[in-house]
Amino acid sequence: MVPAYPALDEAQDVEDITTEEAGLRPQTGTAPRVAILVEDGDLVAQGAPVAHHSKQPDICFVAPMPGRVARIDLMSGHRLSEIVIFREDGGDHVIHDTADAQTEVGLRRLMQRTGFWPRIGRRPFGGMPDASERPTAIFISASDTRPHAPDPRRALEGHEDAFRRGCRALSWLTDGPLILCQAPGPVLVDTKDAPRLRVVTTGPRHPQAAAGLLIHSEFPADIATPVWDLAAEDVAALGTLLETGCLPQERLVHVGGSALKTGRLVRTQIGADLRALTFRHVKPGPHRLWSGSPLDGHPARWLGPRDRQVTAFAPDAKAGAPHWLVAALTRSARPKPMIPTAALDQAFAGRLPSAAFLRALSSGDDETALNMGILSLLEEDVALADYVLGAEMQLAILLRDMLERIKTEFAA
Amino acid sequence: MTRGLWTRETVVVILIAAYLPLALFWLWYGGISDVQRFALALLVIAAWQLVFLLARAQPISLSAVITALGIAMLTPEELGAFRLILGISFGTVMGELVFGGWGRNVVNPATVTLAFLGFGFPAFAWPEILVPVAWAAIPAAVIGMMAGVMPAGVILGAILGATGAIGFGILPGAVLPAAGVVLVLLVADPVTSASTSLGRWLNGLLYSALIVLFATGWGGAAPVQIAVAAALLASLAAPFLDELALAHWYAQRRRRHGRY
Repeated sequence: MVPAYPALDEAQDVEDITTEEAGLRPQTGTAPRVAILVEDGDLVAQGAPVAHHSKQPDICFVAPMPGRVARIDLMSGHRLSEIVIFREDGGDHVIHDTADAQTEVGLRRLMQRTGFWPRIGRRPFGGMPDASERPTAIFISASDTRPHAPDPRRALEGHEDAFRRGCRALSWLTDGPLILCQAPGPVLVDTKDAPRLRVVTTGPRHPQAAAGLLIHSEFPADIATPVWDLAAEDVAALGTLLETGCLPQERLVHVGGSALKTGRLVRTQIGADLRALTFRHVKPGPHRLWSGSPLDGHPARWLGPRDRQVTAFAPDAKAGAPHWLVAALTRSARPKPMIPTAALDQAFAGRLPSAAFLRALSSGDDETALNMGILSLLEEDVALADYVLGAEMQLAILLRDMLERIKTEFAA
Repeated sequence: MTRGLWTRETVVVILIAAYLPLALFWLWYGGISDVQRFALALLVIAAWQLVFLLARAQPISLSAVITALGIAMLTPEELGAFRLILGISFGTVMGELVFGGWGRNVVNPATVTLAFLGFGFPAFAWPEILVPVAWAAIPAAVIGMMAGVMPAGVILGAILGATGAIGFGILPGAVLPAAGVVLVLLVADPVTSASTSLGRWLNGLLYSALIVLFATGWGGAAPVQIAVAAALLASLAAPFLDELALAHWYAQRRRRHGRY
């Protein structure tokens, strides 16, 4: 029931890499309208804003390393596609003033101006939260069960104090609980530090620590009660920001996949160039690069703001067109029906009535899906079910369509 | 995207593998007429699948083997080819293919066929399930449950119900072999049994309760007839049991979170 990927020789120590190029991009699947603050060829310091949200000017997108702006790519309507930055050695860091971060308003503004905001995920519907949104709960994922995901505990090593400080600061942003999801072991935060913190212990198998499924069972998100989710490493980065005024842009990333000679752990900046991370490590021949895990990643050139994995795939074996009779026998009437098996129940960690949920999803039954708690889920949470069923049902697309439909319905 | 393997045909192949011990013991104790019946059933189902492939672009499926095995093992004896073909055609077309093929059906096509043949031609005797064949149903159930293709809740629920009934002395031992084989062949079908975990247990319990009811209250019925009737009613009740289980799940969630 656990998806197996070709094992690689794993390098055990973490390499620090800052790639020569980096691409600033919004969260996967979103394209916010932005106002650009720099021009091609400008020198920018690390942490300097290069763009801000056009409606909510406090939300900034910042340079992940000191460098020179190489290219600004916008889609129609000033929607951010990507901003490419070339590294310049000896550049500066922007130090932010953290004096008024002791209040909720000040903390919010600091998180938005330093470019921390795009690292926050929200449910329902995904994307980053609005500038003034107040969540009813905040989930902190200190365990990641996706195949080959880096261990968040390892990312937190040496940053325990910063993590504690980050948790305390986050508790000002919500009246509800702060829910820390972690693998079995010593509790990462003393609950004295954050009185509303609740610890949820997750199992070792995917998707037992998938954020959406945990939110679904612990504190369901709804239109009126949005829930945020953050990676523990980003919470530690927030703690460092509060202490030093400088938001760390590095994160622990696992580079793996079937097209690599060796998998490895690197510490690299957000928006890192995936080609630079895999250069010299890929097997000869063509390959495809994904930002994200083999289950829920997506083809990309730059590391996404919420991704902690890079996957290099060998290209699919070139299959010729099948014989017309074989095609007729096997490819008619797609998608083929879904058979409820134990594997499917496991794909939702037993937290959802899987067959009934997938039936509602594939038949477009919004009401039943709402009752079952679809608003807590995003594409990444159904990725394993899609994998298990042989990717025939395209569940991620079905889920996104349904979420968009529900969103427009409630907006009307 | 990399792909997992739990597609419809994988499930069918694993189910066939699970049924192998049962099929082998049945053939070992059976004769050439059993093989003929199996081959005939397979041929008729394959022909209908081909018709639906050409007319409705419905993909064919190896599930024909499972259906044919169920029919060949449990159908009334000495029906003759014509009645058999009529019954199998009715069962596969009305029980499975008009719904869109295996995986979209609401009742097991083998159950429909057997009910049609058994109740349409009551003059023919139901087959006897030999005890060694019934024993072979146990490894079949174990393989199916371990591989996750047979709903464990259904089988365990039925066993629980039967154990309780035997404990109270209301379940005659004579129906047990037939009930066991029918449980593995027809009731523990991943498609037509209940699909929620509570629903599966209820489904198994309902099956054993129906067996007890028919065994004690239905004079002159053969064991296989009792089991097939119970299987038919249990699978018809499965969606209702699923609804019950879902209602319970919603209520639990509402109690816990104050909303869905």
